[in-house]
Amino acid sequence: MTLRLGRQSFPDDATLMMAIVNRTPDSFYDKGATWAEDSAFDRVAQVVDEGAEIVDIGGIKAAPGAEIHADEEIRRVGSFVGRVRAAYPDLVISVDTWRAEVARAVCGEGADVLNDAWGGADPALVDVAAEHGAAVICTHTGGAQVRTRPHRIEYVDVVAAAITDTVAYAERAMAAGVPRESLVIDPAHDFGKNTFHSLEITRRLAEMVATGWPVLVSLSNKDFVGESLDLPVGERLIGTLAATAVCALAGARIYRVHEVVETRQVVDMVATIAGRRPPARAIRGLA
Amino acid sequence: MTRIVLVPGVLALLPEYAGVTDPVADLRAACLEAVSSLGNDVTVVGDTQGERVAAYLLAATLRNFDEASVLVVGNGSARRTEKAPGHLDERADTFDADLGRALRAGDTDALGDLDRDLAADLLAVVDPIAALAGLLPAGAHGEMLYEDDPFGVKYWVMRWNR
Repeated sequence: MTLRLGRQSFPDDATLMMAIVNRTPDSFYDKGATWAEDSAFDRVAQVVDEGAEIVDIGGIKAAPGAEIHADEEIRRVGSFVGRVRAAYPDLVISVDTWRAEVARAVCGEGADVLNDAWGGADPALVDVAAEHGAAVICTHTGGAQVRTRPHRIEYVDVVAAAITDTVAYAERAMAAGVPRESLVIDPAHDFGKNTFHSLEITRRLAEMVATGWPVLVSLSNKDFVGESLDLPVGERLIGTLAATAVCALAGARIYRVHEVVETRQVVDMVATIAGRRPPARAIRGLA
Repeated sequence: MTRIVLVPGVLALLPEYAGVTDPVADLRAACLEAVSSLGNDVTVVGDTQGERVAAYLLAATLRNFDEASVLVVGNGSARRTEKAPGHLDERADTFDADLGRALRAGDTDALGDLDRDLAADLLAVVDPIAALAGLLPAGAHGEMLYEDDPFGVKYWVMRWNR
């Protein structure tokens, strides 16, 4: 199905890189490297140059920490979205937020996508998306509260739960007026999940793809990779790329990433192996 | 009048081997231009792979002429450089130079008297080209649309109207 992300549409065989841009002082991977607005802007320039189709701008780290109220979140991301929009009129801009109030502010600044990493915690978010023609990423958190770590969460069938909840969220968004082609589902690795859950989601991602909704995966440097390989943040790229390859073979459409170039190569290579994409240039044995 | 075209049997021309970018774009353009000048009743002279290349080129062109036509599929050595499919054979350059000269000059004696053993050593596909000896009048002047060896394989795209 054609995917419409605000001002841009993508054919159904396109895979997309969504580059993470943190406007936070404390995110787990970059630890505030792009907290300063100019640093975040430089990061946007870098990932655009690397070929990212989407930037995902976030003002609050996912993990627990100091409470950030909506006005502070808007201060962090609102005008920044406007600055990025002015500099990159055609770039797809996503904002990682669960708050309708923040969503309204960033849509006013030109955001195309609302990446609701907390699975519909604020029910009014979809109304804002419908009002502004923004796409919504519908994530699965297993009912986890905003900015919490999983504690003794178990599922009868984590994949079935992820499908049921994300599809229900997408249908609720449609009912609110968000077009079907602007809805994406995301199993949300690590969110409301232990490592075994995230591994099973990865292994069985094809079941999510089979729903027909476009699937986003956010795997980059996460704890399920770290725990699988016993590696700290900063040493998880290879494991991330292995998980990326598995999800790419299953047919994931959007990849939320820290490393754009490496992920693009993996996704393109897997798509080429799968026969969904031709080789870039083939002459070996054919001259 | 009989229209005759020579193209190389390059498998990279086939749609099933297409990449995002075309490594033989110039060659393809020349082949399509040449084959476009053939009539709608075409006899193909080539080996099995050459026939596939011919079928693709014929299907990809609109030809509304009512003249007898022959599409010959063959090429020179595939051992022209160290990076060539058959690695370097020092004899390739002279062999291809002589063959190219014969094609340009319409030297039917030379085309009919090609050294088939040497051609086989050099991975040149010349049996179809030798058939030109019986198709062209001696001294026939052909138009050379393409002559190059971008991958260490010698290609010619030519057409004759006689």
